[in-house]
Amino acid sequence: MFFLRNYKTVIFVAVLLIIALVMLSYSVKYDTGGGFFRKIVLEATAPVQKVLSISVKSVSDAWLRYIFLVGLEEENKNLNKKINEIKAELVLYQEGYLEAQRLSKLLALRDDYNYRFISARVIGSEQAALSKTILINKGTAHGLKIGMPVMATPGLIGRLIDVSWHVSKVLLLIDENNNIGAILQRTRTQGIVSGAGSRGCILKYIYKNQDVKEGDSVISSGMGGIFPKGLLIGKVSYVLKQDAGLFLKINVAPFVDFTKLEEVLVLASEEPGSK
Amino acid sequence: MLYYLSLPFLSILLVVVQTTIADIIFSGRLVIEISLIAVVYAGFRLDLIRGSIFAFILGFVFDCIAGSVIGLFTFIYVVIFLCSFFASFRMATEKMYFIALFSFICAFLEEILVILFYNLTFKFDILVNIPFIFLPQALMVGLTAPVFFYLMHRLEVFLHGKPLKLAERTGNVRISAEV
Repeated sequence: MFFLRNYKTVIFVAVLLIIALVMLSYSVKYDTGGGFFRKIVLEATAPVQKVLSISVKSVSDAWLRYIFLVGLEEENKNLNKKINEIKAELVLYQEGYLEAQRLSKLLALRDDYNYRFISARVIGSEQAALSKTILINKGTAHGLKIGMPVMATPGLIGRLIDVSWHVSKVLLLIDENNNIGAILQRTRTQGIVSGAGSRGCILKYIYKNQDVKEGDSVISSGMGGIFPKGLLIGKVSYVLKQDAGLFLKINVAPFVDFTKLEEVLVLASEEPGSK
Repeated sequence: MLYYLSLPFLSILLVVVQTTIADIIFSGRLVIEISLIAVVYAGFRLDLIRGSIFAFILGFVFDCIAGSVIGLFTFIYVVIFLCSFFASFRMATEKMYFIALFSFICAFLEEILVILFYNLTFKFDILVNIPFIFLPQALMVGLTAPVFFYLMHRLEVFLHGKPLKLAERTGNVRISAEV
C-alpha cells in the first residue's frame, strides 16, 4: 500500500505507457481504428477543420486575388507601355505617309513648272511681330542664292533673303517687307502684293474701276525679275471700294498655310531647254 | 478539472492548425510538429501527471487525425514527454539554444522510433526518407521551438502576470518519483 502511494505518479505514467502500447498492439494486430474514441475525435475535428479551412481559404483567396491584382497591374503597365510604343510607331508611319503625300504634291508642283527645283526641309520659323521668316536646311553648298523664290504646295511662299552654306532664311509672303509684282488671273489686272502679317497679304495699286471679286486668284506677274510669272500667290478674300483714294482695298489670302510648312522647293533656275 | 476537460479540444485544435499550416507552407510535404514542441514544453513546465495526460491525449488525437496506426504517436509522445521532463531537472531549459537543440533531438528521436516501428512491424524500408523528410522536419521543429516557447512565455506573463516557474526545476535536485 505504501509502495503504491509512494510511487503512484510513476505507476500512473507507466499505466499510460502500457495503454498506449496495448492500443498500438491492438491496432497493428486487428488493423482497426481507435474505435469509439477515434470516431469522437474525428467528429470533433470536422467542424474545427471546416472553420479553419474556410478562414484559410478566404485569406488565401484574398492573397491570391491581391497577387493577381499585382500581376494585373504589372500586366497593365506592360500593355500600356506596349500601346505607347505602338502609338509612337504609328505616329512615325503616319508621318511617313503624310510626308510622302506632301512630297508627291511637291513633285507634282515641280512637274507643273519647267524649273530646276531644290527641295529643302523647314528647320525653324521666326514669326515675330514684324518679321515672318523661316529657316531651311539648304544653303550655298546646295546652289541656293539670295533672292531665289521659294514654293510649297500649291504656290509661292516667299524668297531667300539670307543664305549661308547649309542654311537659308526665307522671307515669307506675309512679311510686311515683302512686295511681289502680281496679277489677277481672271482680269489680268496688275498690282503689288505686300505682306500684311497675320492678315495675309494686301493687293495694292488696283484702281477703283477695276473688276475685282472675292475668290479671284492672284499670281505672280514676273515683273521685277525675281519671281517667274504665273506662280500662285493666293486668292482675293476681301475687296473694299473706298470713298477716298484712287485704289481698291484688297486683301489676299495666301494659298499656303505658313504655320504648316515642312518641306519647300527653292526655284533655282529655269531648266535648260524650257521656254 | 477544466484543464483535463479542455485538453482534448485544445489538442484537436492544435493538430488541425499544424496540419493546416503545413498544408499552406509546404503543400503537405512537411509537417511542422507544433504538437511535439508542445509536448517538450509540457515536459519542461508541467508536472508528471498533468504533462503525461497531456502528451497521451495529444498523441492520441494526433494518431486519430494524422496517424495511421493508433497508439504509435500516443506512445512516442508520452516517451518524449518523459525525456523532456527528466531533462528539465538537469538542463538549463530556459536557454533558447538548448530548447532548439533538445526539440531537434526529440523530433529526430520520434522519427527514429517511427522508422523502427514501421521497419520492424511492416518491414517498410523508409530509411531513404531520413535526409529528405525526417531531417528537414526535425530541423523545422528545432527552429520553431524557441518561437513557440517565447510565445508561450508571453502568454504565461499575459495570463498570470509572471512566467510559471516550478521550484523543483533548478537543475540541482535529485529526480523524485513524487513530483
